Amino acid sequence: MSVIDIAKGMGLTLGYMFKRPVTVQYPRDKVTIQPRFRGRHHLLRHPDTGLEKCIGCSLCAAACPAYAIYVEAAENDPADPVSPGERYAKIYEINMLRCIFCGFCEEACPTGAVVLGHEFEMADFRYQDFVYRKEDMLVGTKGGKWQRREAEAKGKDVKLGFEAGPRPELEGVDY
Amino acid sequence: MKVRVNDVELDLAPGTSAIDAVFAAGGDVPYFCSQEYMSPIGACRMCLAQVGAPRKERDGSWVMDEATGQPKIFWFPNLMATCTTQVMEGMVIDTLSERVKTAQNGMVEFTLINHPLDCPVCDKGGACELQDRSYEFGDGLSRFQFDKRHNEKHHPLSDLITLDRERCIQCKRCVRYFEEVPGDEVLDFIERTAHTYIGTADHGLPSNFTGNIADICPVGALLDASSRFRGRNWEYDHTRTTSMDDATGAAIIVDARTGRIERIKAALNPDVNKTWIDDGARFGHEYVDSSDRLTTPLVRRQGKLEPATWDEATAFIAERLKGLSGKDVGIAVRADATLEEGVAAMALAEELGTGQLDHAPRPAATLIGNQTATITDLATADAILVVGDLTEEAGILDLRVKDALKGVTPPTLMPHGVPIADLRLKERMPRRREILAVAAPYRVDLMRHAGTAVHYPAGGEAAFFRALGKLAADANAVLVEADEAATGMSTAQARALVARLGAAKQAVVVLGGLALTRRESAEAARAFIKAVGAKELAVGPMANSYGLELLGVLPSHERYGYAGMLEGSKALILSHLDPAQDGEVAERLRGKDLLVVHDIFMTETAHLADVVLPAASVYERDGTVVNLEGRFLPVRAAPVDAGSSTDLTGVARALGEAMGKRLEGRSVRSARRVLKKRFDIDFAELPDTGLLPRTKGRGPAKALAGEAPAATGNVLVVPSMARAEYLSRNRHLAAAVGGNRLRVNPEDAAKHNLTAGAEVRLKVGGTWRQAVVHVTDGVPRGLMTIPSLPEQPVGLAQADLASIVVEQVRLEVAS
Repeated sequence: MSVIDIAKGMGLTLGYMFKRPVTVQYPRDKVTIQPRFRGRHHLLRHPDTGLEKCIGCSLCAAACPAYAIYVEAAENDPADPVSPGERYAKIYEINMLRCIFCGFCEEACPTGAVVLGHEFEMADFRYQDFVYRKEDMLVGTKGGKWQRREAEAKGKDVKLGFEAGPRPELEGVDY
Repeated sequence: MKVRVNDVELDLAPGTSAIDAVFAAGGDVPYFCSQEYMSPIGACRMCLAQVGAPRKERDGSWVMDEATGQPKIFWFPNLMATCTTQVMEGMVIDTLSERVKTAQNGMVEFTLINHPLDCPVCDKGGACELQDRSYEFGDGLSRFQFDKRHNEKHHPLSDLITLDRERCIQCKRCVRYFEEVPGDEVLDFIERTAHTYIGTADHGLPSNFTGNIADICPVGALLDASSRFRGRNWEYDHTRTTSMDDATGAAIIVDARTGRIERIKAALNPDVNKTWIDDGARFGHEYVDSSDRLTTPLVRRQGKLEPATWDEATAFIAERLKGLSGKDVGIAVRADATLEEGVAAMALAEELGTGQLDHAPRPAATLIGNQTATITDLATADAILVVGDLTEEAGILDLRVKDALKGVTPPTLMPHGVPIADLRLKERMPRRREILAVAAPYRVDLMRHAGTAVHYPAGGEAAFFRALGKLAADANAVLVEADEAATGMSTAQARALVARLGAAKQAVVVLGGLALTRRESAEAARAFIKAVGAKELAVGPMANSYGLELLGVLPSHERYGYAGMLEGSKALILSHLDPAQDGEVAERLRGKDLLVVHDIFMTETAHLADVVLPAASVYERDGTVVNLEGRFLPVRAAPVDAGSSTDLTGVARALGEAMGKRLEGRSVRSARRVLKKRFDIDFAELPDTGLLPRTKGRGPAKALAGEAPAATGNVLVVPSMARAEYLSRNRHLAAAVGGNRLRVNPEDAAKHNLTAGAEVRLKVGGTWRQAVVHVTDGVPRGLMTIPSLPEQPVGLAQADLASIVVEQVRLEVAS
């Protein structure tokens, strides 16, 4: 190793001192999420009828390599259906501590009901708060559990720490 | 018979079907319509194969192929449905050729044309024959671009079975099942071609064996309504065990998920239940998951039952027992305790030094006769006399009697198991009704299939058999009028019946609970059985009645029996028994120094108890039961979440520890060591199909009489498929059978002002019973029938008819 090699290396470092920094000052600044990023799950609804797409078939749970999903199905009341058809998910839970965000659930879903979105801010204090239920994931719910608790306590809107481009498969999710 | 399947040479018995030849050769053809133990009809056309056979010249020699010098194979011009093709000498079956593959692929495509493919929401998904076969033999892509046929998706055929008419592929298994197996023709095809659907002209499915069609449906058309959408097939924990619902010991699979039993399916035991179970065994499990299950011990402190730990509870019992001498303590278990629990109860009794040990309900007569038939003997019998209501009491025996009527012996097992297509079975086979005689005090279901159906007076079993015994002793004897009344037959009829039983190669007399209630009737019955040279099959009141008697969970003296200990002892340990339903007994129990109740719910008796211990239900135990033919069958625990509840072996362990003793029977393993010494069988290694020892360990431990109920009464307590004590918690089953039925003759109903469907309360014996009135001419005037309870075994009882309280009149016409 010669002095020239050391100088080359130092020169590279020196060069970066005059370029724009790639580090984002999160959470002060918002991060930009790439379209194919896989974050917290969304449970979608049919945009026209408002019925849940999930039919409680449990295929996501079967595909999940981390056993993070638990589904319990029930029969729809024809007068007031939750989803189209006979069956809906009475209980739909994902344990976000177990989830490895591989997206297999999204691939297994026969109705496109579960889609991995962009949210990643799910840090929390207690184990049970990482188990996301249907109401934590259905379209219209913005933010992680802690973010929503905080927003409610302060009486403000949920503030997300990222910006993302639109994803067509996330029907009804407008961020 | 030499057969070649895809280059595998086989030697098969004549009469084997080609599909079984293929499977015996280790090959595979898809099929939807064939079903074990049912007639093959070739409806689905999936099992197509290329079949050929050599031909014979007129002189009997083979037509030879000149090129090879071998007999020439003449191929059938078209592909054959192998399930309806019988093998011939030298037959060649080809299932691998391109022509066969194309045909099978085409059949899958054709079958799927109108199938909705809603596998994600279908309860059969993951265990569906059509799904599996479509993956194996189908194309994966549909060329059919039109709208599919639409039909009813959710048709409740009954309270227990839901029908999805879109999914049906018209294999006809369910229709054939009802005609061939229970003989209740309640389903049929309606309309033709693509419009064909399954339907019934009846209200619901009036049969006790409806659940089996959910098991045999190859698609998700017929489904168990009680487990609808409860879980997917791959999510269940399957436990192969033995049904404790009645004394036959049918093989079942308990499917549990997240600590709940979601459904029960039938399992295969060729010598007992084949692949069928009755609806009581299938749907009678919902009570196990009731929210009011006991999960922790309760101890009475300052007059109130409070939750406690097992240590506190057992310390409390041990402390109280210290002051009592052995003969003050009584221990009673319900007759569906396992053998292992029986060992635990015996060890406890020995430790406490008491002879007051019993199982209840226990009939007055012994169940262990000298000439016990096997269930296979019954299914191959050529003369059968049934006393009692087998359909309700032991559904499997009812089905096996119907096997005997067909006159087809049980199939020989093949390398791949039960033959898929048994060509001896046909649709609408002639039945040998004349071989079956059914006798009961009221009209029972099996009488529809019997050549001789007779009604004898209620409580008159002893007179019935004594009168028949006269004819057995002397064929020319003439019955006096009283005997004719006692048998419900004329001399000629009775003579013909006795002659048939006597002349038969294999005659079986099935003694229902009614014939065993009192000792004299059982003695008369056994004398008659011996005289005609028949074999007997005595139906015990509960799952392990035979086993507990065999093991000797019996009092040391007749007066120390269950009724005696309720009366005489100062301290009582009761497992799964609820004698306090009887008001007088409840009063006596209040005076006990110590009452320990081991049960799954807060029963009447538990409310009076000093200590309540949470018990494991019949689905949560490991152990062994002995069915009515003496077959040892394994019971395995399903993963059910029931807190700290445990079976009697657990009680023996905890109580033994509190007393500073290590009792035999403190665990299932320790109990099995004792049982191994006794029966010379390793119960940990018991095969699924059970073990029927014919040498060691047979014969009752001691001959003892149980308590006989009254010989007179106005209400006949009868066996019931749906267990009365849990029926209110078995929602689906209760809806299907119409509640605990008080069956009343129309004239009596008018006399007592009872309307059909009315919910009533009445005092039978000392016990207040709730029931739903069913008006029927099937019961004679002056008699009512009500389902039995463990504490109110079958037999006559006196009811205070003036005490009937009508609680609610439902606007529903009951049959």
